[in-house]
Amino acid sequence: MELIRSSQTAATKSRNVTTAPDSSRAERSKDHWSQLLERVASHQDRAAFHQLFEHFGPQIKYYAISNGIAHQAEELVQEVMISIWRRASTYDWRKAAASTWIFTIARNQRIDMLRKIQRGSAEMAIETEDLWQIPGDDEKDPVPSLHRIIAERRIRDSFEHLPQEQLTVLKQVYLEHKSHQAVAEDLGIPLGTVKSRVRLALGKLKVILQDQDL
Amino acid sequence: MSTHHPDEVLLMEYSAGTLSEPMALCMRMHLDRCSHCRGQLDMLNSLGAIMLDHSKQASRVSDDLFDNIVAQIDSEPASREATVEKPSNDSPLERLLGSDLNELPWKRQLADVSVYDLSDRFPGEERVTLQKLCAGGRAPSHSHHGSEATLVLTGAFADANGVFSKGDFVILDHHHDHQPVALHGEDCITLSVMDAPVKLTGRLTRLLNPFIR
Repeated sequence: MELIRSSQTAATKSRNVTTAPDSSRAERSKDHWSQLLERVASHQDRAAFHQLFEHFGPQIKYYAISNGIAHQAEELVQEVMISIWRRASTYDWRKAAASTWIFTIARNQRIDMLRKIQRGSAEMAIETEDLWQIPGDDEKDPVPSLHRIIAERRIRDSFEHLPQEQLTVLKQVYLEHKSHQAVAEDLGIPLGTVKSRVRLALGKLKVILQDQDL
Repeated sequence: MSTHHPDEVLLMEYSAGTLSEPMALCMRMHLDRCSHCRGQLDMLNSLGAIMLDHSKQASRVSDDLFDNIVAQIDSEPASREATVEKPSNDSPLERLLGSDLNELPWKRQLADVSVYDLSDRFPGEERVTLQKLCAGGRAPSHSHHGSEATLVLTGAFADANGVFSKGDFVILDHHHDHQPVALHGEDCITLSVMDAPVKLTGRLTRLLNPFIR
């Protein structure tokens, strides 16, 4: 309990700096995984790290397999977990949910791994993280945290009601590393149909926020 | 704040990590200047995490994996942890070029147009160039065979579709017959990514060339 209390104190301090009115409400909705990450950051808490591993490790392994790098699946889990440990102090719950932060790390490590396989020993001209940023790596203001948390809840709730054909397209893009062109070829449908399914799905999930929502 | 943005379909491909390296560079540089698209990207990244969580097919990991991870953390010298984050003020493109835009060995193609080819810095077949239209200059009228992503780095240009200034992102394709004119006062430099002339398809090729779209 001591650990949790002290990490909340730290968060309270930073809240006072921003004085965003929605912060205290958002603070209360801070999810379990974000709290664990903060314990890793502040106390190198291995029990918290183990809980994160138990939850996200199998997901990352599945992600590697679905992306066609089954042989390196556990290597990817290992790289991502080590990355989480090392950069936990850069995690900011106001900028992204813990699961989102971990997703972007896994995505980048996957890209990095594929780039290294592709390049062999040739030097990469540009770092993966110069191309794909991890949320919180810069100081630019994100979507206000409460809005983000509400929007995420909405995505989660409406996700299961998506028509199968839209879900299939989203899954192929996010989990199987396929471009829209590749999805079209795979499903034997025109590229325009893939794009319209994506747009319909994003519309239903209200992923694309209108300016007045921000 | 930019006024010309990538559409949500392209943002989603960026979030999922399926875009080619040069396309990702264009997107990254647009995002650096566009809070609107950063907000959308946040949501798309959340969608990725939610999809992963929903996949319910999570794969069992080896019993000793966690111990191996902890062992590796313990064996790392502490200094490596300190070097993880050191954001530089240079843009990713400046780090790639290693020099100022104006110092590059530009090749003049037409009276008002110079080009610097970056294609060999990237894998894949896309043609990646920096294009400079001198202040007040005019490019000849042209249309596009494939599609061309353009990000404005400095200055601004105008064509029949509007005015495009620093940070703006636009996809030009065969629908656009355009004759860009650079605004006065500053050279207009753009980063441009043209579709691969040869499109490789098939599962194996895709696996081997993950960044060729």
